[in-house]
Amino acid sequence: MVKEIERAGIPVVHMCTITPISLTVGANRIVPTIAIPHPLGNPALDKAEEKKLRRHLVEKALKALETHVDGQVVFDK
Amino acid sequence: MKLELGYIQIKDIVFGNESKISNGVLTVDKAPIEALAKEDERIKSVTLDIAKPGESVRITPVKDVIEPRCKVEGDCDIFPGTIGSVKMAGFGKTHVCKGMAVVTAGKIVGFQEGIIDMQGPGADYTPFSKLLNLVCVFEPVDGLKQHDYEEAVRFAGFKIAKYIGELSKDVKPDTTETFEVCNFKENMEKFKGLPRVGYVHMLQSQGLLHDTYVYGVDAKKILPTLMYPTEVFDGAIVSGNCVSACDKNPTYVHMNNPVVVDLFKQHGKTINFCAHIITNENVYLADKQRSSNFTAKLCEMLALDAVIITEEGFGNPDADLIMNCTKIEKKGIKTVLVTDEYAGRDGGSQSLADADPLGNACVTAGNANEVIVLPKLDKVIGTLDYVNKIAGGNENSMRADGTIEIEIQAITGATSEVGFGKLTATY
Repeated sequence: MVKEIERAGIPVVHMCTITPISLTVGANRIVPTIAIPHPLGNPALDKAEEKKLRRHLVEKALKALETHVDGQVVFDK
Repeated sequence: MKLELGYIQIKDIVFGNESKISNGVLTVDKAPIEALAKEDERIKSVTLDIAKPGESVRITPVKDVIEPRCKVEGDCDIFPGTIGSVKMAGFGKTHVCKGMAVVTAGKIVGFQEGIIDMQGPGADYTPFSKLLNLVCVFEPVDGLKQHDYEEAVRFAGFKIAKYIGELSKDVKPDTTETFEVCNFKENMEKFKGLPRVGYVHMLQSQGLLHDTYVYGVDAKKILPTLMYPTEVFDGAIVSGNCVSACDKNPTYVHMNNPVVVDLFKQHGKTINFCAHIITNENVYLADKQRSSNFTAKLCEMLALDAVIITEEGFGNPDADLIMNCTKIEKKGIKTVLVTDEYAGRDGGSQSLADADPLGNACVTAGNANEVIVLPKLDKVIGTLDYVNKIAGGNENSMRADGTIEIEIQAITGATSEVGFGKLTATY
């Protein structure tokens, strides 16, 4: 899906936990997430902390979307 | 150090008033088994049945298959750390009730457990159709959560297998087999000149009822570590899985791990089988990175020449498999991977979720998406309620004439990634 949408000229950020698979399948902008059963959340945190985490991930993804890349980049900083 | 396995061939199972093994016939008194199961207040009832090879019987939903064994000499109990005390396994003497299994069943998740057919084409895909099966179907108390139900059935299965195993304690084995292991220094001296071969044994640890336990420790909490390869024969590793049944290792398979058995057969002849390394398949990327780093480090420290890596399960564990492969290969150590495939019903899709050119020696245990039609069988132990939802099934699986069209994914042990099955391929 990532590759098809990009082929249509729209940049994509792939948010996923197992970034090596994302690299293998050919995503260009990759944002690592928390864990496979809960990529965008963390049930170990309380509600306020989790909201902060989720916002942070979304902001990171939006930032990645704006970033120019030449080839595959994992935004793991 | 030695472990002697004494095999007692079980030729028949019958129900009776007194549990015993006599002339190869296992007589089972239901009452003590029911009492064992109900020691756990989470279990409302257990129904016992016997399924024999060739009978028109279908068992589903199957949770685990367990081989009854008994320690005759040695420190530990069978299933150390799980139901036995936490002592080291893998030496002394162990009796094995060969030709039979305890099969645990119940609708824990329902759509994730497996099918064992005792007859017909489905029976050809599961190694457990060749065994005399003492089947235990567990009903939970009302309102019990799935993970509690899973744990209760898991422990009940081990207790029942231990109970049956102990009936063999004073029986003279029909045959014996001895496995000898030695320490690092002796091993280096004794087998000098032979290629040093290790086994990297990946354990399912994704959680949410995809679990394996090592001496009672949840495998997701371990760092890769070393075992004497004989430890598995005493039940040091057990299954806590309730997921796509074709490629999870039931406890029976851990106790009879064919990679360990076959490496032992070549040990001291063509190879020096000097390391059994266990590792996990967790759902956090950092865990995958850490565990594969440690696995490669252990292979390097042990100066291995080659390793066999077996996967358990599919999907994201494919990433663990490839990480293990590439990191070990980059240490200059050859790898052979054993996995199965999810290549679509026509076999034309990509087989694994991840890949790397260094993974250039790979053994497949078959395509789990392959479709099979199972005939209507006369008797069902358990329930067919979940056949349309089971992993590998669809809303049309259960047909009006009683036949079932389903992927072999649903059949317990069909694509065993340690090679505990019959599917083969020629290249």
